[in-house]
Formats: sequence, structure tokens, C-alpha cells
Amino acid sequence: MLSRTVRLGVLCSRIRLEEKLIFRALEERGVEYDRLDERRLALQLQANGLVEKYDLIWCRSISHSRALYALSILNGWGIKTVNSYQVVQTCGDKVLTTTALIQHGVPTPRTVVALSVEAALQAIEEMGYPVVLKPAMGSWGRLLSKVNDRETAEAVLKHKATLGGPMHSVFYIQEYVDKPSRDIRTLVIGEEVVYAMYRRSAHWITNTARGGEALLCPLSPEIRDLSLAAAQAVGGGILAVDLMETDDGRLVVGEVNHTPEFHGAMQAVDVDIAGKMVDYMLQQA
Amino acid sequence: MIFQALRERGVEGERVDVNTITLGLSEGINGYDVVLVRCLSHLRALYASKLLGDNGQCMVNTYEVIATSGDKLLTSLALVKRGVPTPRTKVAFTTQSALQSIEQMGYPVVLKPLNGSWGRLLAKINDRDAAETILEHKHTLGGYRHSVFYIQEYIDKPGRDIRSFVVGGEVIAAIYRHAPHWITNTARGGEAVACPITPQIEHLSRAAAEAVGGGVVAIDILEAPDGRLLVSEVNHTPEFRNSIAPTGVDIAGRIVDYVLEVAAMEPGRSRHECSAEQSD
Repeated sequence: MLSRTVRLGVLCSRIRLEEKLIFRALEERGVEYDRLDERRLALQLQANGLVEKYDLIWCRSISHSRALYALSILNGWGIKTVNSYQVVQTCGDKVLTTTALIQHGVPTPRTVVALSVEAALQAIEEMGYPVVLKPAMGSWGRLLSKVNDRETAEAVLKHKATLGGPMHSVFYIQEYVDKPSRDIRTLVIGEEVVYAMYRRSAHWITNTARGGEALLCPLSPEIRDLSLAAAQAVGGGILAVDLMETDDGRLVVGEVNHTPEFHGAMQAVDVDIAGKMVDYMLQQA
Repeated sequence: MIFQALRERGVEGERVDVNTITLGLSEGINGYDVVLVRCLSHLRALYASKLLGDNGQCMVNTYEVIATSGDKLLTSLALVKRGVPTPRTKVAFTTQSALQSIEQMGYPVVLKPLNGSWGRLLAKINDRDAAETILEHKHTLGGYRHSVFYIQEYIDKPGRDIRSFVVGGEVIAAIYRHAPHWITNTARGGEAVACPITPQIEHLSRAAAEAVGGGVVAIDILEAPDGRLLVSEVNHTPEFRNSIAPTGVDIAGRIVDYVLEVAAMEPGRSRHECSAEQSD
């Protein structure tokens, strides 16, 4: 409980269970906040009335592109946001995430980026099957492809080329990590790893949004260190880190998520996740 | 080549460019005994032949032929109805039911857009991982073309397929299209070699052409490992420039001769050859 008055704005669109829990945790702490619905928001680029109004804006938008532009404007005015524009930009784009991880020495699967269908096919053949193709931007395991042979590579690449647009003209190609029917997701808040959970799934896509089952994972020092390193690599804040166990016993970081959902984790871990987030937020303000 | 064949026969042929014409709903374009449709766009060919044919213009091909052979589902249906052997085919309307019918059919299968040429967006699906991601991509592509899933058993052809040309009920030429790739279209690098027109190929080609309504069509035939011949597709505006040298057949000339024959039936036009029959 902080005695000073924090003026907080929460940028959001659809209110999921997570946002409801966050609002409740804010109310329990007597924090006054404004809900800023991005669908009704028109941000003046010149005038900046929000600067006087808020100490901090918390971004819980589910739209990556909206979040990205809103944060760039808010940060441009000097308004502090969690997460920052830079963090959202890095985490929202798998090419930038992987680059940041590599630059900070965080182990991550072998990855190639190709800029044409022909170059992508060649890179896939050189990497060897199976590989995973991912849209550079996207969530909930959408349009991920596990490619087991050349015929699949050709068909998937042609379909991506037909989809067109900036999202499907950059090919993010990653070695397939043969995980033990689960991966690990940790939640990092500031300098703390709040929990780790397994996402168990018979399917190689383990997202709880796609039916992965959340189970408690012991927070080993290795998982803790790797999670903190990954969070730091992308700029820190409130972040979910996806880790995979390779068949030779290593841990690698797959992705870092800038606006984590956590209703799946609540089944598995006994932590007041929304409360922890709010307390961190108040420290930042 | 068609224009050249027309000139050689002293026929006045006029190019009607679909990029510049506009068609009324109740008026034809005057002055032609017959119109040969050679436009690349299926949709344009389809509607041009409908508008012209309905207004009494004699067409090669007719709207009926273009509508049927331009849509793989309607083609398969026409072939099956006439007892023409064709690969096992299923149609599904959602990604979930498509996945289920793929699993039931067993791998590999081929997914094809209902319309489309030159082997575009054909997908050979070897396992469930591929099926899931291709279906998701098609779903994301969305739209009319990708919301109906055409699923066909994969025929393990001997590195080639057969394309025959049927003109007015006569099989005038056939080629093998050799390719190391399972997509054998010559537009995609398949190599054309003469194929003897066996009685079986002749019979099958004529039956397939008749099933879609005759005219000028090319028939794609697959040789199954057990020796059966299966018709996979019928093309209503066949490309043929790669088939002339290997077969020695003047395909353009044969097409032009047939078109002139159809035109000569005027004014007592054959109901079978001309699309006036569309109006019942």
C-alpha cells in the first residue's frame, strides 16, 4: 500500500479475466485508475494532455499493432509505460526477440530469416527437417507450421506468399526442438521470477490457448537465471518467457511475451499474480 | 498461333480483348459467326461466354464447358456421374471436417483450390502436421476460393502424367509431361514428350471431354501404380505451344478447323455445340 496518490491509466481493449483481476487488485489497494479503451482513443501527436494526467500508463492491449503505436506516442511524450515501447516492439516481433536474445548470450534455437520464398526453401533444406515456420508477429500459436519435408515446405511457403503482406513476406525459420510434450513458461516481474509452469500438451504447439495443460514447474536456479536473462535482453518489465527443454538436456528460450495472459497459470500456481503486477506497477510510478 | 492458323486459312479473325470490351446483359456482340474463348482469366471467360452465349452467339467453348471444367469440384462430379475413372475425392467445408476427412482418407493426399491453373497452390500433404498448417493457412487466406476444401487421394504417378487434347470429340494429340516434381505442369518445368494415343487413352479422353460438354479441352490423365488410368482434370482453355513439337500435330490448325466447322453449322446451329441450349 502506498500512501502517495499514483495517477494510473490502463490501456486496454477487450477485458479478459486477467484485466478483471488486475482492476480488482488495483481497487483493493485503493489505487485510482482510468481505463483507457484503445478502441475509443485518438491520440493527439502535438498536444499532450495525458502527460499532466498520468504518472504511468499500463498497457494491457491485446492488439500488438495498436499497443505498439500507442506506446510510441506515449513514450514520445515522456509518459512512462509498462511495458515500454521498446520492450513491446522487441517482444512483438520474433525476429527482434531472437536477435536480442542472441546479442545477450541467451540460448535460443537455431534461427534463419529469409526474405523470399526461394531463399526460405533453400534455408529450410540446409537446416534439415523438421523445422518450424513462424509469422514474425502473432500470438496464441497461430499459423505456426511444423514442416517435416520438402513438399510441406513448398506448400506452406506458397500459401504464405499468397497470403502476402509484410507479415508473410519475411520467413522466420527455426530448428524444431523435440520437447518432452511440454514447455516451460515463467513470469518475470521486474527482477523477480514469480512462477514457472509447465504447459503439457500432446500437440507440439503447447499454448494453453490451444489446449495445453498448465502444471506447476519447480523454479530451478537455471530456469530462474535464464528467465531473468531473457527478460533483461528484451528490456525488462512484466514479461512471460517461454523455455524449451532440448533432448540433450539444455534449456533454450523460445519467445518472450509482452502482455502475458495468466489465467492458465492460476490453475497451477498459488501466487497472487495480479497483485504482484500491481505492486510492481506502483513501484515504477 | 491460332491467329496464324486463321490467316493461313484466309479467315477473318478479330481479336476481342476482354480488357476493353463491355457486354450488355441482353445484347451480344454483332458480326461474328463464332467466338473462340482464349482468355486467361477463368472468371472473365466464364462470364463472357455466359453473356455472349445467352444472347445467341455461337461459342467455343460454351459456358457449360467453361463452368464445369473451370471448377475442380464440378469436373469431378461430372466425371463420376459419367462413370469416368477419377481419383477418390472428398469435399469439406470447414478446417475441422477437412482434417477429419484427410485423416480418414490416409496420407498422402492432395489439396487443390477449386479453381486455378498452372499447379498454383496445390499442396501434397504427407502428414498431420502439414494438414493442420496448410488448412490454417487456407482458412486465413479466406474468401470464396479457400473456404471449400477439395481433398483428393494422391496418385503415385511414374514421374509423368498424360495430357491429351480433345477437339470436337476427336483426340488429336497426347503428351507425357515428365517431371521429377509431383506437379507436372509444363508451365512449372514439366517436359513434354509424345505419348501414343492408345485405345484406352482415346476412350477415356473422349469420355472426359463429353462429360464436361465437349468443345476444345485438354484432359489430364494419371497412371496409377496398379496400371489404371484416372482422369484428374479437364482444361477449357488449354495451352499447347509445348505440345506441338513433340507430337507433330498442328494443334492450332486443328482447333481453328473445328471452330470453322462449328461456325459453318450456322444458322441451323447444333444445339450440342452452341451455347444457345443454356436458355433451355
